Amino acid sequence: MSTPTTFWRLAGMSYTQYVTRAATALRNGLKEPAKTQAMRNEALSYNSATWAGGKAGSKKPVQVLSEAGL
Amino acid sequence: GRRCNRNPSFSTDQKSFTMMRNTILRRAAAPLLRRTFSSAPEAAASGMTLNFSLPSETIYAGAKVSQVIVPGAAGEYGVTADHVPVVAQLQAGVLQIMHEGSNEAEKYFVAGGFSITHPNSVTDISCPEAVKIDDIDSAAVSSAFEAAKSAFAAAEAGSADQALAQIDMEVNKAMGSAVGLSL
Repeated sequence: MSTPTTFWRLAGMSYTQYVTRAATALRNGLKEPAKTQAMRNEALSYNSATWAGGKAGSKKPVQVLSEAGL
Repeated sequence: GRRCNRNPSFSTDQKSFTMMRNTILRRAAAPLLRRTFSSAPEAAASGMTLNFSLPSETIYAGAKVSQVIVPGAAGEYGVTADHVPVVAQLQAGVLQIMHEGSNEAEKYFVAGGFSITHPNSVTDISCPEAVKIDDIDSAAVSSAFEAAKSAFAAAEAGSADQALAQIDMEVNKAMGSAVGLSL
């Protein structure tokens, strides 16, 4: 990987994390009812499954990606 | 005359040999030296086509518009028909869509994303969130900007917290500009 130049890369964030945070900041600055409607798009949930031998193990919900080892 | 003819130290044989060699080289190189152009693009029928989508909804699919002004991370730029192909990362800012036959631009505030303009005058814009400018709350934006500014100052240089605060500052500042605040 070449040397990171953007502040968010240097801080260890990925582009997806950066743009998701920017979208959150946008949604927080809205008036009602647009804000409530936009907050529905905010909801994110993650499931983690470990693959072995070409098969997925059981899925478990995780709150943050770090719990899944990422 | 040719350089070989002007050189007094060349003998007649050398001159004729040089001329012959130069002609052969020029003719051999001709196919390589011949200018080629990429095949001309098909002329855009009229105007450009816009595809503008978010993860949650498609705002425009195949819409014929006359111009789009895109908030690129490297600077704002306009796209019309036959624009050179471009891939641009977007920054938080205002996306303006000029519809055919209209003087007023339709404006959206976008949080980021990408804009790709293809050789056939189709532009694909994909953003994580986009809102109408009228839906922006000035008071919320000012207070969020101030809070982010304090968080930025309080955070350790180069830390994730400082980066998050910087993102908040940049987005809120851009939202403020969109509604006429200068933060």
